Amino acid sequence: MAKTVLITDDTAFMRMTLRNVIEKNGYTVVGEASDGEEAVALYKELKPDLVTMDITMPKMDGITAIKEIMKIDPQAKIIVCSAMGQKPMVIEALSAGAKDFLVKPFDAERVVESLRKIGS
Amino acid sequence: MPNMKLDFLKELANIGTGHATTALSQMLNGRLFQLVVPDAQMLPFTEAATYMGGLEQVVVGIFVVISGDAKGYMACVHPLESALVLVRLLTGEDKEEIDELGRSALQEMGNIMVTSFLNALAQMTDLLLVPSVPGLAVDMAGAVWESILAGAEVTHEVTVIRTRFSTEGESIEGHIIFLPDEEAFAKIALQLGLEEL
Repeated sequence: MAKTVLITDDTAFMRMTLRNVIEKNGYTVVGEASDGEEAVALYKELKPDLVTMDITMPKMDGITAIKEIMKIDPQAKIIVCSAMGQKPMVIEALSAGAKDFLVKPFDAERVVESLRKIGS
Repeated sequence: MPNMKLDFLKELANIGTGHATTALSQMLNGRLFQLVVPDAQMLPFTEAATYMGGLEQVVVGIFVVISGDAKGYMACVHPLESALVLVRLLTGEDKEEIDELGRSALQEMGNIMVTSFLNALAQMTDLLLVPSVPGLAVDMAGAVWESILAGAEVTHEVTVIRTRFSTEGESIEGHIIFLPDEEAFAKIALQLGLEEL
């Protein structure tokens, strides 16, 4: 059965781009969130196998969302996809519980590689 | 001290445009971009809009507020024609106007370009430079300026880096605008090894 993914990004364009890459590689996108708050709510509802998470978003940023999701499910598999690649941010995200950090712009192969690695 | 100023500008222009070009290329599946040697100026903000093509030119501006170890503003501004080329390259759709998807694509591209610049600057200066959620405005340059600078205390000169990218016969123009506040300016200059500007 295909692994399920929740995509989180405040830009429709990026959600669309990620969806295309993810679905082409045998995964099922079960939900799209446009901010951290929505991501947490959808995580509770959909219980996806994997989550992609942007950092810079309105209402609730990605780091806070990661922490909230990890409270709900300490086994959550969250992959950060963000343009913001400065070291303190990467460390913060990984400390909060993210399993990988991809810096935008990323290529499709890198995304798939991460999904496979984290999803197994 | 004019020499120090020039050094600062050269550094920023190199960082800004180098990373912007790389980011743009990667977003467009490794398409090769040729970068025209960037021009960098430090101007009073009242002159900056004129330098970029005039207050009445219709432009697309993507802008962020910077926080963290240094505060300020940063924006990426394109004349409308260039923005339409970018939308076409990003979405594969040829439109005469910027629609919802086009706005989203430009916002993301601007976000990546501005953040790439900040990431590079952060690495060079060892400062944490955090961009806000980007805003996007499509309007006459004068109005876009107001959006970018809403609430800003503009006491400083604005750094404007003019770039031109060309790819397979298409030409894209853009300006990267960097406006650190007084304290940030001093911090960055110091970290770049430049004395008081």
